[in-house]
Amino acid sequence: MSEALVGPLRLLRTRTYVWAAGGIVLLAVPFYLDRFWLQAGLFAMAAAIGAIGINLLTGSTGQLSMGHAFFLAVGAYGYCVFASESGDGLTGLGLPTWLAAVLAVLVSGLAGGLFSPIAGRLRGAYLGIATLALIFIGQHVLFNARDLTGGFNGRDVPPLSLFGLTFDDSEVVVAAVPFGSAEKLWYAGLVLLLGCGLFARGVLRSRPGRAMNAIRDHRIAAGVIGVPVARYRAAVFVLSSMYAGLAGVLLALVFQRTVPDYFGITLSLEYLAMIVIGGLGSVSGAVVGAVFVSFLPQLLTRYSDALPLVSAPGTGGIAPGEASRYLYGAAVVAVVLFLPGGLVRMAAGRRVRTDQGEKR
Amino acid sequence: MSTFAELFLNGISMGSVYALIALGFVVIFRATEVVNFAHASLLLAGGYVTATLHDDLGFWPALLVGIAGAAIVGAAVEFLVMRRYRGSDHSVLAIVTIGVDILLTTELTRRIGTDVLTLGDPWGDSVLTIGPISLAHTRIAAFVAAALLITAFLLAFRYTSWGVAMRAAAESPETAALMGVRLGRVSLGAWAVAGGLAAVAALFLTVFPTPGLERATSLAALKAFPAAILGGLDSTTGALVGGLLVGVTESLATGYQSELTFLGRGLGDLAPYLVMTAILLIRPAGLFGTKELARV
Amino acid sequence: MSTTYAAKAAAGALAALLVLAGCSSKAKDDEGGDKGTAAGEVKTGDGISGKTISLGVLTDMTGVYATLGKSVTQAQQLYVKQFNADGGVCGYKVELTVRDHGYDPQKAVAGYTELEPKVLGFAQFIGSPFVAAVKKRIDGQDKGLVLPQAWSDSLLGSPYIRVIGSTYDIETMNAVDFLMKEKGVKKGDKIGHVYFEGDYGESALVGSKHIAEEAGLTVVEQKIKPTDNDMTAQVAALKKAGVKAIVLSAGPRQAASLVGVAAAGKFNVPVIGNNSAFAPQLLGTQAGPALMANYYVASPSLPIGADTPEAKKLVAEYKKAYPKDSLDNGIVAGWTAASAFGQALKKACESKDLTREGVDKALLTLDALDTGFGIAQDFTDPNAASSKESVILQPDKSVTGGMKVVREPEASEVAEAYTK
Repeated sequence: MSEALVGPLRLLRTRTYVWAAGGIVLLAVPFYLDRFWLQAGLFAMAAAIGAIGINLLTGSTGQLSMGHAFFLAVGAYGYCVFASESGDGLTGLGLPTWLAAVLAVLVSGLAGGLFSPIAGRLRGAYLGIATLALIFIGQHVLFNARDLTGGFNGRDVPPLSLFGLTFDDSEVVVAAVPFGSAEKLWYAGLVLLLGCGLFARGVLRSRPGRAMNAIRDHRIAAGVIGVPVARYRAAVFVLSSMYAGLAGVLLALVFQRTVPDYFGITLSLEYLAMIVIGGLGSVSGAVVGAVFVSFLPQLLTRYSDALPLVSAPGTGGIAPGEASRYLYGAAVVAVVLFLPGGLVRMAAGRRVRTDQGEKR
Repeated sequence: MSTFAELFLNGISMGSVYALIALGFVVIFRATEVVNFAHASLLLAGGYVTATLHDDLGFWPALLVGIAGAAIVGAAVEFLVMRRYRGSDHSVLAIVTIGVDILLTTELTRRIGTDVLTLGDPWGDSVLTIGPISLAHTRIAAFVAAALLITAFLLAFRYTSWGVAMRAAAESPETAALMGVRLGRVSLGAWAVAGGLAAVAALFLTVFPTPGLERATSLAALKAFPAAILGGLDSTTGALVGGLLVGVTESLATGYQSELTFLGRGLGDLAPYLVMTAILLIRPAGLFGTKELARV
Repeated sequence: MSTTYAAKAAAGALAALLVLAGCSSKAKDDEGGDKGTAAGEVKTGDGISGKTISLGVLTDMTGVYATLGKSVTQAQQLYVKQFNADGGVCGYKVELTVRDHGYDPQKAVAGYTELEPKVLGFAQFIGSPFVAAVKKRIDGQDKGLVLPQAWSDSLLGSPYIRVIGSTYDIETMNAVDFLMKEKGVKKGDKIGHVYFEGDYGESALVGSKHIAEEAGLTVVEQKIKPTDNDMTAQVAALKKAGVKAIVLSAGPRQAASLVGVAAAGKFNVPVIGNNSAFAPQLLGTQAGPALMANYYVASPSLPIGADTPEAKKLVAEYKKAYPKDSLDNGIVAGWTAASAFGQALKKACESKDLTREGVDKALLTLDALDTGFGIAQDFTDPNAASSKESVILQPDKSVTGGMKVVREPEASEVAEAYTK
């Protein structure tokens, strides 16, 4: 927050209070809201982690990737393979779950690294479509490598245990509120998201971040002033894959089962939509976009009865699923046309001028 | 051997449909340097218009209206959305086309619902049989149409003023604008042409041996991506070669899947992407794409 | 500096929070959940508020199974309407809460999580991977009755998740049995099997491989994806392999293409599909004549156009309620599932226990549920499908629903003897 110090002290205080209030609300949520909302929130947190990752790649470095879903799958399935015991025709290593989670993230990074001969050479549209290949390869492997992935029915996700606390559905009563998996994971998700957000912000605000932006804005000029372009591009690809892998692990824990259908092209497109809607190149943009895109369909489905124009499934008219697709398609188009910089720019409106550090 | 020949010919004819779709990508990319992910929805739009009108108008007029309709949708997308974008980042524009695609596809699939719409084509399910090999008339028509259209575009790019303007715009928009090329008009034209091509492709995607137009038809456009890329996104010849290569690969991988079980079954969808990846490793701009010469 | 502010604030808030949590509606109160346990009254639990029983429906109306989801849901809504008009059960009315997940795992799991606390059970749940995803929760804590509209053999074995009708593996065995008995396929022959990647196709493949082993056939596999609409390459490959018949475990579009291509290439082998591999809309396409000539469908019940009073009544009422929609076998599937749930509720009412546990138990006592579509469903064994019989149908434009019966309900010997 060093840049905030140059601003007036009053601003600093207000911001602190806002942050603290937001933090308290987030901490309090599991005590009040039911599982549906917690689960929706957890989906959004996982999406936010993944979106931060792809925003580093596409938003900050200008490399279009449509293969993000593949790395999510590597994380999710990697965790299952490392953490489960072998049995039922499935391979498992039976490692401690926290170690499995770390390894799954590393394996996602490795998968990103293996793709770097392509990621380092291709640009723009070519890279975008080349990464599409990853989705198809991923789907093929998920359905066919039965002993690793469990095939079409996926595999069970062993609950995470950390310091003797297991994030499963066995009830722990905290202040008279029963805590199941969603309540416990909520806090794990918050910690992970905070860590990921701070790390990405650190990267963006330091030397590597400026180098990445230089590559995005003018690759050749960046090379001329001494930025090792190819190395940076490969490194960002690996980092972004690791973020996706972590998002995959968290998603797997929330789902409690990995399903291959989930990791398809639609998911990749959703991540791109998130960063465009939220705001390219910033951490907060990724988070805002992720919350918007993952909450929207669930809200519309849940309150379909109360909304005008949207009708309950089976009665004709626009179904909630369709309504949310209209809205999010329109949001992508409208944000790019009318709010360049995304939703965060609108919210941050005034602050942009003083807060140079946030600028992409 | 006859199986191979049949699979090969089938791949060629399917590939020519992919080539038509890929050509649509190429036209827009050449004019504006944007990859158009909304192409799938243009395809659906063209097919839908043809399918709803053929009963009243007869097939050929309906097809013409379908082509015109898809061209208008394409032009409208350019005019209402693409032109309003004030930035310069082509990746962002590509993502905008994804948004457009979601909007159009949702609307069209909602209209199509659970129906399977026929396009009322004159070929029916007749087949040409030469010895042990049989080939559907629709596929021969697809090949002829693709060959004609692609030749026409090759010539148009080279000799008409529209083609020259488009090439100039792709080369350097600023210089072209200073030389009197109306960039807006060039890109509007490109989108309209791409829409028309998509409608033609939609026709051949939905006639025999496929049952008709339905909500998943647009997914075929996904197979044209590797076609466009491996040929080179800015090359007309590349679209043709890429399309044929993808068609043949897909057909052979499917036909010989029993011999390829070590790779897992159901390779048909994957094979084009594997070929594409291999080619991109050797030639990052595709087989016929223009290499960028800037080196540092 | 700012961190001190934040830390202080957070610590204070956390303390406040723990106090406040006491007021949360989520907090456990000591009074038990069971209402109306007094003697002579019906015991109720989750999913019943006031005089309404809520049932969940997790369907797909905008995704790949939209055709099935629409018919099943509309049939169930129709059933519930009549059920209530007939007086409901124990004085309670039934209400369906429908959530469309569009075959998206995230929405499906979210839909389950949202509805689970509010409903007694699920009269419909499309997508076996999603049922599998929440299976742990259903078996572990929720224990509500779930009737999936998916016939994968991997769903068997739970006392709460009950598949209605024969699973795809059994249905495929019956289909191959039909080919052998009536279409001249004999020991030593090769049969082709074109199947979808995923639960449906791969479950069917288990069946075809099993009966092939028993009967001395060889299966030539062709795996496809739901997006493959052109079966030319598959037909060429099967022709090369010299198959005598083809089993198709895919969607209606693939059936139309495969049968059309085979007929056009004079490759006249019989083709038989699973229940999901046909839709009446296809008869209007170019593949229509070929389908009527050479295509059969194995189905877990008589078709919607069956010649029984119940079927005729259902057709008339469905037409009245949804005049624009086509009649297909999804209606039968939805109606049968809703009837099973309705009957279980009535049984549970007789034993004065409308809790989830009571309904689960009541279903286990239903051993011959007949909804007028030819096959009695036996729910007493959670490890087996509720029936092993299949009907063989043939497309026919002139019949309601586009299908006529060519072999009455029958379970093949191989299917009878088969245990998972």
